[in-house]
Amino acid sequence: MKMKKLFANAEIFLNSDKRKRKEKKKCLKHVIKKLRKQEEKLNAHLQNETDKDVIENLNRKITLVHAQRKKGLALMKKLMEKKKS
Amino acid sequence: MIRKIFLPSILLVLAYGFWISPDFKEISAGVAIFLFGMLSLEEGFKAFTGGVLENLLRKTTDKLWKSLSFGIISTSIMQSSSLVSVITISFLSAGLISLAAGIGIIFGANLGTTTGAWLVAGFGLKVKISAYAMPMIVFGVILVFQKSKELKGIGYVLTGLGFLFLGIHHMKEGFDAFKDSIDLKAYAVSGYPGIFLFTLLGLIATVVMQSSHATLVLIITALAAQQITYENALALAIGANIGTTVTAILGAMSANVEGRRLAGAHLIFNMVTATIAIAMIYQLTHIVDIVSGWLGIDSDNYTLKLAVFHTIFNLIGVLAMTPFIQPMVRLLEKTLKPEVRTTAQPKYLNRASIEFAETAINAVRKETLHLYDNAFDIIAGGLRLKPEWIRSDRPIDEFVNSSTRSREIDIDEQYNAQVKGLYSDIIDYMSEAQPSMSSGQSEELFALRSAGRDLVGAIKDIKHLQKNLERYMMSPNPAIRDEYQIIRRQLASVLRGLELVRLGGDDSATILSLDELKVELDERESLLDGTVDRLIRNNLITAEMATSLMNDSSYAHDIATKLVSMGEVLFSTGDINLRDAERNISLDDDEIDEALASSR
Repeated sequence: MKMKKLFANAEIFLNSDKRKRKEKKKCLKHVIKKLRKQEEKLNAHLQNETDKDVIENLNRKITLVHAQRKKGLALMKKLMEKKKS
Repeated sequence: MIRKIFLPSILLVLAYGFWISPDFKEISAGVAIFLFGMLSLEEGFKAFTGGVLENLLRKTTDKLWKSLSFGIISTSIMQSSSLVSVITISFLSAGLISLAAGIGIIFGANLGTTTGAWLVAGFGLKVKISAYAMPMIVFGVILVFQKSKELKGIGYVLTGLGFLFLGIHHMKEGFDAFKDSIDLKAYAVSGYPGIFLFTLLGLIATVVMQSSHATLVLIITALAAQQITYENALALAIGANIGTTVTAILGAMSANVEGRRLAGAHLIFNMVTATIAIAMIYQLTHIVDIVSGWLGIDSDNYTLKLAVFHTIFNLIGVLAMTPFIQPMVRLLEKTLKPEVRTTAQPKYLNRASIEFAETAINAVRKETLHLYDNAFDIIAGGLRLKPEWIRSDRPIDEFVNSSTRSREIDIDEQYNAQVKGLYSDIIDYMSEAQPSMSSGQSEELFALRSAGRDLVGAIKDIKHLQKNLERYMMSPNPAIRDEYQIIRRQLASVLRGLELVRLGGDDSATILSLDELKVELDERESLLDGTVDRLIRNNLITAEMATSLMNDSSYAHDIATKLVSMGEVLFSTGDINLRDAERNISLDDDEIDEALASSR
């Protein structure tokens, strides 16, 4: 099993397309995670807010962060499909 | 004059040597093959400098032990302290590491380079390494012809190692044959005169071959063939250590002040170490005997004992000099001062970093940030605001409303003095750096180029905007005056928003929050037509004022858009793949509209 993993890693290293895709995936995952945390933070802030203007501003921020996260997930899905094909 | 006759003299001496002695020819060929192997090895490792090495180097700046370890490990693996020095100088000149960290790496590299002596003495002389050399060269050359950068790199490393082994083999054979005809040992000099003489010879050999590694291999093979005495071999090794700094100094002459400081530190380290080693050579040989005994090295195995000596005397140097790194930094910064630079001169662009793609990109990014700082001051001035007000946490309304006095500003002059030259230098540097870059790195450079273009564009727009701003911000007509105050406030708010993103640039979510600024800009733009209509309808402004307001709002929108798109590229501090991911996830205008529409 270890040998299999070693060969898989060696193949990834020697195949620059695969390696690039793996690095891309890792970075996308990182950004998506950050966005999810940001969305949670903004939502928590929204729960305790009473000022109408601030609520409106927060809602807009949440919408944008959510759209960015969705876009990130779609890009990730595309990468996975490429990997399969 | 000396330079002109130096090379022909060396060639003549060598040619004469080849003519009278075929063994000398074999030894020299061994050295040449070895040096060629070193070049190939460096070329191979350069293929991997695009990521791993630079990422590692970036992480070794916070603690001294990390810098030392990086120097030791990287030099042990790559068997080239000069490549490590060059990368360190490139990082230092690009402002990515401190001088203290650079010195730590150089100290570590001095210790790391001693592993070469161990490898040659322990492995190279015992095994028939030429048997490994041939397949390595064959496999290496096949890989060199491959398309993939990584395979090419591995190919160069294999070929390099093959040639190193082949070179050692020829040196060994040459010395073995040499001893049948001439006994060089007859020229051995004992005592301190011998130590000084052979230290000088070691120094000269290293300066000529530009590699202390090659000198050391030559010493070890000569020692193994009993062509030199153990004592003289130790002195030669000390000389090789000093000689390597001469190479570094020659290299640093054309480098910037950071490179010269690092070469200065290297020189101080090696001179102090050599002085200690020469002064205490007999005590050191005694220590070497004790350590060799512990390690189970035979008392007559002089080649391995030389490796022990080489390690111990460099280790003493590291132990003796490490506590003095900070005083050394202060001394070097005091004695080697940078040229006085104006704000318009580049701070980070340097020839030393151009060879290493990732470092070159970082240097361009930092220099474009410098350009941004200059542009920030001009744009703030164009809005008749002080840059420090925008950077402070004072309410924007407060300083915009209180600063309504006009003052004469020549933006063209400021552009020529602070931006134009710097921007041209960045463009020149980029075009020189680009040919050696991968497609991903070229894309990054292209994005940075467009960030610079955005900055220049924003300055040109503020130049047009400020003409009417100057006129209307003091107008007796309150309606038009208020509108121009709004423009000032909006742009000040964008500049402040950018500064906040810049401060939190290591967080992807902060970088992506620039999309919010885009939304705000679009909202303002869509409100403008209604506002102008209302003002004209109510006879609050003239038609001429309305035209000016529409034009200038469009300039303000362009300035803000350019600054935001510049910020997306420039403020992200992650590695190239992370920056790429952030840029891919960032929303364009249509996606923003779609997201906002679906939330309503």
